[in-house]
Amino acid sequence: MFSFDDEKTRWFMVSVLPHEPALRAWLSRKRAAGIDVDDVIQETYAVLAARETIRDIRHPRAYVFQIAHSIVVRHVRRARVVSIQAAEDLEGFDPADDAASPEQTAVDRDELRRLAKAIAAMPGQTRQAFILRRVHGLPQREIAVRMKLSESTVEKHIGRGVRFLIDWFGHGGKAGSQTSRVVEPEKSALDGRARNQSKH
Amino acid sequence: MAERETSRSIDAAAAAWVAREDRAPLTSDEEAALNAWLRADLRNAGALLRARAVALRSESARALGVGYDPVDFGAVASRPSRRRMLAWGGGLAASVAGAATIGVVLQAPKAHATDRGEVRLVPLEDGSTVMLNTATRVTVKYDGDHREVRLVEGEADFNVVADRRRPFVVEADGRRFVATTGGGFRVRKLKGALLDILVHQGRVELASQAARNGGPVILETNTRLVLSDALSAGSLSVPQAVEPSVVTRDLAWRDGKIAFQGETLAQAAAAFGRYSDIRIVIQDPALAREPVTGLFAANDPVGFGRAVAGVFGVAVEERDGTVIVGAPSAA
Repeated sequence: MFSFDDEKTRWFMVSVLPHEPALRAWLSRKRAAGIDVDDVIQETYAVLAARETIRDIRHPRAYVFQIAHSIVVRHVRRARVVSIQAAEDLEGFDPADDAASPEQTAVDRDELRRLAKAIAAMPGQTRQAFILRRVHGLPQREIAVRMKLSESTVEKHIGRGVRFLIDWFGHGGKAGSQTSRVVEPEKSALDGRARNQSKH
Repeated sequence: MAERETSRSIDAAAAAWVAREDRAPLTSDEEAALNAWLRADLRNAGALLRARAVALRSESARALGVGYDPVDFGAVASRPSRRRMLAWGGGLAASVAGAATIGVVLQAPKAHATDRGEVRLVPLEDGSTVMLNTATRVTVKYDGDHREVRLVEGEADFNVVADRRRPFVVEADGRRFVATTGGGFRVRKLKGALLDILVHQGRVELASQAARNGGPVILETNTRLVLSDALSAGSLSVPQAVEPSVVTRDLAWRDGKIAFQGETLAQAAAAFGRYSDIRIVIQDPALAREPVTGLFAANDPVGFGRAVAGVFGVAVEERDGTVIVGAPSAA
């Protein structure tokens, strides 16, 4: 089953989360037909969640890219319709992608500033609830009293705030509208189908 | 079998679970529901892991301090921002907690201060920022030609936006540090300690003192300079290169943490003293010399005392604002 101890969550925050924008860009470049980048990312993380321990992972970025690659391969095989383009793009795993980007080293320094910007970009009430929870450290119960909302509404706002940050950090701090994901123009043409996410 | 969920709805569900956990511990029914949800789709566990990590990351927002105003970071003000209220003055300003102290300084220089245990990010009008550590006071003076910040006491981390026409100058103890590029540097001025500067990005020039070769003292990225007391030319200090890991540890306070790497327990206890009124007393002198390594919450000296006591197998006692580690016990 899955293990979600604090150590793994913290490790994930430090070693995996910062690479998500790069992973997303890399997967988008694969152009494999029928691939939903967001599905692949979630499945990749599920592999990490299922691991007993993460202590033996020495190169988290490379490891995560490898898992993602194998999942893409599996998806394409499952789809049975492999375009020539997709097959070409699936050739091997490019180790060059694994070099830590220069901006990576600066992540720590700007982290708080990014967070401040991300929270500032949240929609009104969600932002207010989130600031009271995370900046002021008030429990949800007290936030409900202050904002004159029910506790379950506050919980919804906190959930929306977390949801907002998942998008924000996953796309490298460029969340677009309040709740919808950013679809870069060059990407929308490629995986528009997947993004529409018709149930299948 | 149910229809396959979209990754978007899975993320929403994962975030909702994290918010639920944040509200109160899960009941056993909820626990069962969460486990059922995790088994329902391969992707769910991955989404939950990410949602939890994101929530954990957002916890460092605490370090923004209660003075955090989202308007300073590009939020559209849905209501008048605190600052605008101040400008209007009068009854409005008086109704805002803590406004009085800031309200009087519409003219330069502006003062910013933190209490003991507080860490705050102060955005400056040009986009530069100053992060104030515990018990710190600075005054800010901007005009057409200068950007000057005076560190009156404490510790501050400056992140400077380059502006050729207006040098960014930090003054402390009569020394003037000039950021010649955009970048970041930390200056520390504590009672009973030497003035200490650490540059972690860009270049900083020590204007008021010449180097041995007659040129200015220049601090490059990842160098640290500890200045001797005397301003006299005879007591020159030389910047020392520091490892990036040392820089990270040095700046852990920006996230509300204190990092130790082999400091003695006595030193660690003293470090906590900067952040709260609670004192940590290590009773046994031999224990006080033991090295300690780790990352700790700066605002939790009691937790630190307990952790230490646990590691070294000694008793811990809390009494009248003092945490006594190694207190005599029945055990």
